[in-house]
Amino acid sequence: MNIEPIQIVRRSDGILVNAQLLSNLKATDLLMVERQWESSRQSLHQRLLGSSIDRRRWPQSLHWDWKSKAQLLGQLAIGGYGIVESSEWQAVCLVDCVSYHSRLAGQLGKPLVYLDFIEIAPWNWNIPELGQNGTYGACGMILFDRVVERSIDEGFRGRVGLHALPQAEAFYQDKCGMTPLGKDASKQDLMYFERF
Amino acid sequence: MAKKTMTLNLTDEEMGVLDDLARKKDLSKTGVVRQALRLYQMVDLRLRDGEKLIFEDEKKNKKSEVVVL
Repeated sequence: MNIEPIQIVRRSDGILVNAQLLSNLKATDLLMVERQWESSRQSLHQRLLGSSIDRRRWPQSLHWDWKSKAQLLGQLAIGGYGIVESSEWQAVCLVDCVSYHSRLAGQLGKPLVYLDFIEIAPWNWNIPELGQNGTYGACGMILFDRVVERSIDEGFRGRVGLHALPQAEAFYQDKCGMTPLGKDASKQDLMYFERF
Repeated sequence: MAKKTMTLNLTDEEMGVLDDLARKKDLSKTGVVRQALRLYQMVDLRLRDGEKLIFEDEKKNKKSEVVVL
């Protein structure tokens, strides 16, 4: 595992806090992620069930389970990255370097890094209707930037692709500068985005 | 990640294919070999888990299973 020092934003006061960006995650890391997140996820689920918030506005990764993705990390094609602060996992992502190819005009068929899963810790979710302001910010952007770096390191010239959950579409288009290339019937009609 | 170097012995025809793939995929020859290894491992693991590798041509409504040794 590689460890790089980074800083993430504590949202309560805007202070930058020292954290670590971990690369080459192992299956045991994802088991730890789920162990740390599971109770927060369940507690949030209970609070949402007890609220009047429309289910369409619930966090769309609420049902994810990182344990079930752990075995993917035994493959050369799959890479994992995570952010840890004070021994707590703040965000994690998995990428796939062989299964997808560029759909952008001019790049068609060329390899890219596909961002398969990315999630921030449940305590970092902003859910104003529940009065929950996420603890740390910038984690998603830091991981996305790292995935772009991985694409450059691989010789893929920064090509990155992903299917976005509807709640994340604006983030990928506006913050990450990705191009929406249409909904994908083979992926639950999720919008496919790519950058180069 | 630390990398190791090896010599790869290829026929002219194999080297031609490697050159062609590197050009088409906009990759170095090392990049092509690395991708091939990743893909081979992924296919092997999934076949060992009982999955099948199938090519599908939707236009011709044709599916064929690829048997990988």
